[in-house]
Parts: sequence; structure tokens; C-alpha cells
Amino acid sequence: MAALVRISSVCHRGVSPLLFRSSSLIRPLAVQNKDRDCPYLISAKIHATPSNYAGSGSKAASLHWTGERILSIVLLGLAPVAYYYPGPAVDYSLAAALTLHGHWGLGQVVTDYVHGDFKVKMANAGLFLLSTVTFAGLCYFNYHDVGICKAVALLWSK
Amino acid sequence: MALLLRTVARQGLCSSRSQFGVLYRHAVPMGTTANEEMNKFWAKNTRLNRPVSPHITIYKWSIPMMMSISHRGTGVALSSGISAFALAALVLPESYPYYLDLIQSMTFGPHFLAFSKFALAFPVVYHTFNGVRHLAWDLGKGFKIPEVYRSGYIVLALTVLTSISLAAM
Repeated sequence: MAALVRISSVCHRGVSPLLFRSSSLIRPLAVQNKDRDCPYLISAKIHATPSNYAGSGSKAASLHWTGERILSIVLLGLAPVAYYYPGPAVDYSLAAALTLHGHWGLGQVVTDYVHGDFKVKMANAGLFLLSTVTFAGLCYFNYHDVGICKAVALLWSK
Repeated sequence: MALLLRTVARQGLCSSRSQFGVLYRHAVPMGTTANEEMNKFWAKNTRLNRPVSPHITIYKWSIPMMMSISHRGTGVALSSGISAFALAALVLPESYPYYLDLIQSMTFGPHFLAFSKFALAFPVVYHTFNGVRHLAWDLGKGFKIPEVYRSGYIVLALTVLTSISLAAM
């Protein structure tokens, strides 16, 4: 939760940097006011996580972020398991983990580069379709064909 | 106000809420979320048809910058590859071993297969090692600039070595 503090104007010689020990994300911006006569302080506007005060907002975004990291770690662990214990269980787990990791990753790319309500909705709809087809295809491959682990092993044996 | 801030700064600050309250005496929480603010920004600027200021076209590229976009690039490429593979599995009539033998019979030279393995392994390995680097950042570790460069060089070295070993298998 990053809070951005902008103190628009401070009297006299400005402010020495305020040191916030815990969070490296909070950076106050203190503007040196060259104007000698500034007897007032313009209101600072802050963004704070909604849980700090009564207002809109859920923990959805934060939980999503945490879920992304946990999935990454799960995927990291699946790699050696796939090498030492190949089989259907790992095949389907890999299919799910890879698809979801890719889906969430591409979702971040959409968030970064696509702007405008309609375009964002369309892009996310297309992404959802792509991920669904991807998962279906991987499951089909696991069921009707050799499976992901065996496929990699075969490719590497050539 | 300045005297108050200087006094507080001299004593050092800890992040307890009560001290924040003192500093935020003149602060007003905004009524919009960050997401809404971003959307407002883009809506206004596209409506006014404003050009975007040059940024990546003029800023000097650094190793961390290049590694960051490469992480995204490899991610998108790998995802596309997996989707393409899944689509092929659904659409193509024959089985995987059939197509694998087909590709092998079309081999374009003695080292083609070794090079293809390297080309396949490289983005996976890079994305994996740099992903670990990202997870370390998520834990709050390694943000100092020398550390960023050091971990970056380690990722690059490990990627090359691991890709070569995998291609040799």
C-alpha cells in the first residue's frame, strides 16, 4: 500500500527529508518555495488504501497480487517435480499453473498498455477466451496425446 | 509548520499512525481511487488529442531497463507459444510423436536440433531466473542500485550457462 504525500508548499527554508523507516515506497515531495511570503500551507492530497478510512474499496487487488506471487512460487516448484515425477498429476497441474500464470501476466500487460473502458473490456474478454482455449487445448493434449512432461522428454531425446 | 516538521525530522520518524496524524493535519483524503484517477487522465488527454512526450525514444537505455522489458517480452512470447501449442493440439489431426518425427526428418543441419533446444530453453530460463529476482524484490530485498545491477548480471550469467547445459542434454 503506497501512500503518496505531496506537500504543495512549505514556508521558509523548506523541509528536510522526512525519513519513513518502514516503507521504502513512501516518498514525500517537499517543494522549496522561493516565495518569501507564504504564510499558509496548501492542503496536501493523499491516496491511502481504502482500509485506512471508511470508503469504497475491497482487498481484491491486494489479494490478486498475493495470489500471483504464490502461483509463481508453485510454478517454480513444479519444474523439478515434473522432471523427477512425470505423469498425469503433474501434467494437469502444469496445464493449470502455466495457463493461469500466463493469463494473469497478460492481464497486467493489458492493464499497462490498454486505456479506455471499452478497450479494456474488449481486451480482457479476448484474453479470457485465449486462456480458456489454451487450458482446453493443454488438457486435450494431456488426455488424448502423450502429455506435457512426456512431450518435453521426447523433444529433448531427439 | 516548518518548525514542527524540522523538529519531527530531527528526532527521526517511525511509522506509527499517531505521528502520521500530526503530519496529515492539513491533508485531505481524495474521493477517487488511483484507478479512477488514471482513467480520468487518459480520457482527458485522448479527448484533447494530446501527443505523448518522448520517453523511451530519448532516455538512455540501462541494463535494468532492458532486463525488465525482456522479462515482459519473454513472458508474452512464452505465453503465446503455449497458446499456439494448445491450439495446434486441438486442431491438428495427427499425434505429437508424428509431428516430432516429421520435424526431425526435416532437420536443416547437424546442429539445428541443439540450436533449437537452446532457442527454446533460453526464454524459459531467463524468465525463470529473472522471476526469482522479481520475487526477491517483492520481499523488499535488493533495491539498492548496485544490488539491482549485481543481481541482474547474475541472472544473465546463470541464464546463459543453464541454457547451454540444457541444450547439451
